[in-house]
Amino acid sequence: MTSDTPAGRRFRVFTRRRSAPSRARRRIGAAVRMLAALALAGGVYTAFAPGAFAEDDRQLSTAAQEGKALFDNSCITCHGRNAEGVEGRGPSLIGVGSASVEFQVGTGRMPMTRQEAQAEQKRPVFDETQTKQLGQYIQELGGGPEIPAGSLTKDVESDPEALSNGGELFRLNCSQCHGFGGAGGALSSGKFAPSLHDPTAEQIYGAMLTGPQNMPVFGDNELTPSEKQDIITYISLQLQEDTDPGGLFDLGGYGPSTEGLAIFVVGITLLVFAALWIAGKS
Amino acid sequence: MKRRKLDLAQVPANIGKGVDDRFQAATPLRGLLNKVFPDHWSFLLGEIALFSFVVLLLSGVFLTLFFDPSMREVAYDGPYTALRGTEMSAAYASSLHLSFEVRGGLFMRQMHHWAALLFMASIVIHMARVFFTGAFRKPREANWTIGVILFLLGFFAGFTGYSLPDDGLSGTGLRIASAIMLSIPVIGTWLSAAVFGGEYPGELIIGRFYIAHVLLIPGGLLALIAAHLGIVFKQKHTQWPGPMRTNDNVVGERMFPRYALKQGGFFMAVFGTIALMAGLFQINPIWLFGPYRAAEVSSASQPDWYVMFMDGLVRLMPAWQIDIPIGDGYVIPPLFWPAVVGLGALFTLPMLYPSMEARRLKDHKSHHILQRPRDAPERTGVGAMAFTFFMVATISGANDVIADKFHISLNAMTWAGRIGLILLPPLAYYISVRICLGLQQHDREVLAHGVETGIIRRLPNGKFEEVHQPLGPVDDHGHPLPLDYAGWVVPKKMNRLGALAPAVKGFFFPVEKPVEAPVSPAVPPVSGPGTREEITSGR
Amino acid sequence: MTVTHGGSHGTSTGTEPVDVNDPKLSRFDIVREGARRDDIEIVTYESQFDGQNSKAEKRIVRNIALLFLVSGLFALAFVVAFIVWPWRAELGRSMGDYFTPVLGITLGLSLFLLGIAILAWAKKLLPHEVSIQDRHNQPSSDDDRLITGQTMVYMVDELGVQRRPLLKGAIALGLAPLGVAAAAPLIGGLIENPHKGDEPMMYHTGFDPVSNNGQLVRLTRQDGSPVRPDDVSVGGQITVFPGIPHGATNEHADSPTLLVHLRADDAERTRSAAEGDEVNKGGMWGNYVAYSKICTHAGCPASLYEQQTNRLLCPCHQSQFLITDNARPIFGPASRRLPMLPLEVDEEGFFVARSDFREAVGPDFWERP
Repeated sequence: MTSDTPAGRRFRVFTRRRSAPSRARRRIGAAVRMLAALALAGGVYTAFAPGAFAEDDRQLSTAAQEGKALFDNSCITCHGRNAEGVEGRGPSLIGVGSASVEFQVGTGRMPMTRQEAQAEQKRPVFDETQTKQLGQYIQELGGGPEIPAGSLTKDVESDPEALSNGGELFRLNCSQCHGFGGAGGALSSGKFAPSLHDPTAEQIYGAMLTGPQNMPVFGDNELTPSEKQDIITYISLQLQEDTDPGGLFDLGGYGPSTEGLAIFVVGITLLVFAALWIAGKS
Repeated sequence: MKRRKLDLAQVPANIGKGVDDRFQAATPLRGLLNKVFPDHWSFLLGEIALFSFVVLLLSGVFLTLFFDPSMREVAYDGPYTALRGTEMSAAYASSLHLSFEVRGGLFMRQMHHWAALLFMASIVIHMARVFFTGAFRKPREANWTIGVILFLLGFFAGFTGYSLPDDGLSGTGLRIASAIMLSIPVIGTWLSAAVFGGEYPGELIIGRFYIAHVLLIPGGLLALIAAHLGIVFKQKHTQWPGPMRTNDNVVGERMFPRYALKQGGFFMAVFGTIALMAGLFQINPIWLFGPYRAAEVSSASQPDWYVMFMDGLVRLMPAWQIDIPIGDGYVIPPLFWPAVVGLGALFTLPMLYPSMEARRLKDHKSHHILQRPRDAPERTGVGAMAFTFFMVATISGANDVIADKFHISLNAMTWAGRIGLILLPPLAYYISVRICLGLQQHDREVLAHGVETGIIRRLPNGKFEEVHQPLGPVDDHGHPLPLDYAGWVVPKKMNRLGALAPAVKGFFFPVEKPVEAPVSPAVPPVSGPGTREEITSGR
Repeated sequence: MTVTHGGSHGTSTGTEPVDVNDPKLSRFDIVREGARRDDIEIVTYESQFDGQNSKAEKRIVRNIALLFLVSGLFALAFVVAFIVWPWRAELGRSMGDYFTPVLGITLGLSLFLLGIAILAWAKKLLPHEVSIQDRHNQPSSDDDRLITGQTMVYMVDELGVQRRPLLKGAIALGLAPLGVAAAAPLIGGLIENPHKGDEPMMYHTGFDPVSNNGQLVRLTRQDGSPVRPDDVSVGGQITVFPGIPHGATNEHADSPTLLVHLRADDAERTRSAAEGDEVNKGGMWGNYVAYSKICTHAGCPASLYEQQTNRLLCPCHQSQFLITDNARPIFGPASRRLPMLPLEVDEEGFFVARSDFREAVGPDFWERP
């Protein structure tokens, strides 16, 4: 674990340690922070509360205005006016950020066709520009996590540890649901973790950042942007692009269950036919 | 003295003479080589197991040359970039070395694994053949028991082998094995501590499993396979009923030349199938699972298929924990019932079945003639019941993969398994008994009335009836005399009359020419087609 | 076995012993006589072809020869591929990725075709044969049974154990300890007391302050860095290990813990459930809760965290635990809840375990109180 991220974390650790405040000061500090947070929340509420201000007063960029038009056409039924959510139909989108929009809309999970255990991936309804516009609208509406610009994978030539570090993090954080080979897996009562063979780097990044559906959130403090890039590097190079060295078919990467099926469907079938031929009347 | 000229043609004879002088081998060897084996495809299933065992030994020896059964922590420094620098056990590092740095090592590893799966699969279908044909009856009960023990040994050989690479999947399996040991009342913690040398996972388990996997279990397998084959040789193979075949003889081919040659060819076919599968299908990509860490797991963590039934039973078991309120209180966890009691029962019941059946039928004679499944409906029913149970349990062992890939709720799969495990086996018993009786009934009808010809005849009184072709002699009125039920294939189509078995030539399509026109046997032979007049409309 | 049997199966034609030294006999006649001496009657043994060198025979011979040749070609291809094919697998798509498939296909086809060639030879070229062998499954003769039985009883009799009770007792007393002595090293060497010491392994994890010189143990990541509350996002989770040397290795296989930051309303429910429980009381810190990652059923990491339904699923046997209700098992074979790690934040703002787990961690066992 010699990647630079833990070192950075440790650095923060030391600065904190040096300025460790007394208990009383911490309490006062906590109270002040609490008040500030309340004030901010109140402010945000007043700012976005429906009817408090006329909609047109808000300054939306051109892209966001395009996005708002799309939103009012396709999303408003469930997510409500100004994306405040409709009880029992769709959650509020205030604060989910453009990362969430780009993941949900970009993978075709939104708009949903019907209410079910889990939004299914399907052919996206909106193209890339429209998705960006929608994201921009939601971003300007309530802020939230954004997918950083630039490459989300690392170059293993210049940074050889990215791949092994990514693998390490993948096995600790991702494989329990998505499987060792990224083939996906079942969750409780009809929910599932999807396969990782198709999504793009942006979509994986967005999913980690926002925790769509039942996926836990991996914010920038749990997995730093660099660690996220390591994981994406591992997924794209090792699980998506690498050719399996062990055979022409990987049997889906589901582990022993498909291997067991194969020994009967291929091995036993072939040999039973051979036995039939051997003992058949010539 | 003139040196005698070496006569090359006489060399084999001279060697043979020399050997016999010393070992007196000619007489017993003649008896050994002169052995008649009955010929039927279903008698070749056990051979698949034997041959894959040979492949297992060959490939396994190769693997030991590179494997290091040590749990010492090392940092990986091999060519597989995605693990470089990762801390892992030497066992896992050497498995990776074997896969990536030994020329053909990955191929050998995959051959070994596929051969293991094939070994267990062929044992199961061979067992099914022996069971459904009644080949386990006296005098072969001992060999049946040896067969069941062979499956058990194969089960443990497979599990120990699965654990050796010390990858993520291996470790998860070991963890569950330790939990199963812990679940045993009274001695659980002591047993687990003894096997793992203290707290799980410790430092010893790979070394211990290694010696079990490469010496103790294969030794047992080898000894029992030798005994299994020796007994078959001594008791001679069972045979199907049929012409000339009695309980006191064997009808078939001598071992030499034809039978042995076929066996040799079949060995090559089995070997070739394993090699093909090892090249075509990737099996157990250990490099993706990573080194075993107690905190890491993959979804769809499953054992190999022959352990999956146990895993399935464990998954289906309801959370019934038994608390024993004595002293501080004691616990029998729910894991104990399917994993320990269930596994024990699944191995003991088959062992006891031959004596159970003999006692129920009060049958203490020796049987060398097999029974068709339909001729012993209750046994077939019991077998179908056991097979259904095994299948539901095995499918439940993979229920998360099925739930995910077929978009079924995982909880629904579990409930379906729980209900299916109770409801389906009796249903399978009932259905298979009914099918057996129906098939038997049909055979008896054919024997009594002859083969159905499909020709409908109108009697003078206006009644319609189907013409039957008699199988044997007829009485004065042309009605067939009823034949005895012999428990063997009855011809059901006219062009197969008189054949011993459904003798359709050719493998994928019949070579035999179909009969051109059905001839009603109940009427006197029809004269040749030349004399027949064409039926026209009369114009 | 030099005695000639005959006629016991009713199909043999002659019972007259044949003189195998008779020069007029063909080799097959001798083989047939040998078979007869082993009670095998060769009923039919006929060539599958009409006459020598028939057209059909030649065709089959050609086909079989072809199979042998093709098998040899594939074997050659195997050897050549083994030597010259680039065999090191590289990341991405490389020739080396196809080394194993090429080996498998060439060797597999070579062996399989060889098998078919041999089988076709046996099946198509060798004469068709029906032989009948007597099974000899009669039990040994009554005389033999008697003699063997008497010999065994005689042996026991001669030893006179029945008549010499002192010997009988001495054997029992002498041999039984020897048997135990044989088993003792094996069993004695393997036995380990699972409950020994002040920190019995079944009830003790790396979070026990005892193993950290009495100091509370920090919750750390896999790389050893400690965790602050704002390191875990709302709806997020993180796997934590005891912050002691080797805390994240398999030496402390029972210690991995899942630290979850719940949404406010879920946290409220979780808290009220925990407060109502004797053991888990006060175990949460703010909206954070930590449960053992080791499933109480079979020990797999029960780490499939569903952040909306607040369930933890174990991928091995599908036990499901409800985070908001003390990680009570709500589905599957697990019968016991996941133990909660009581949380606190130290002066420096890092998570520490207030104490070790208050319940036994990991799979259930008999003595668990």
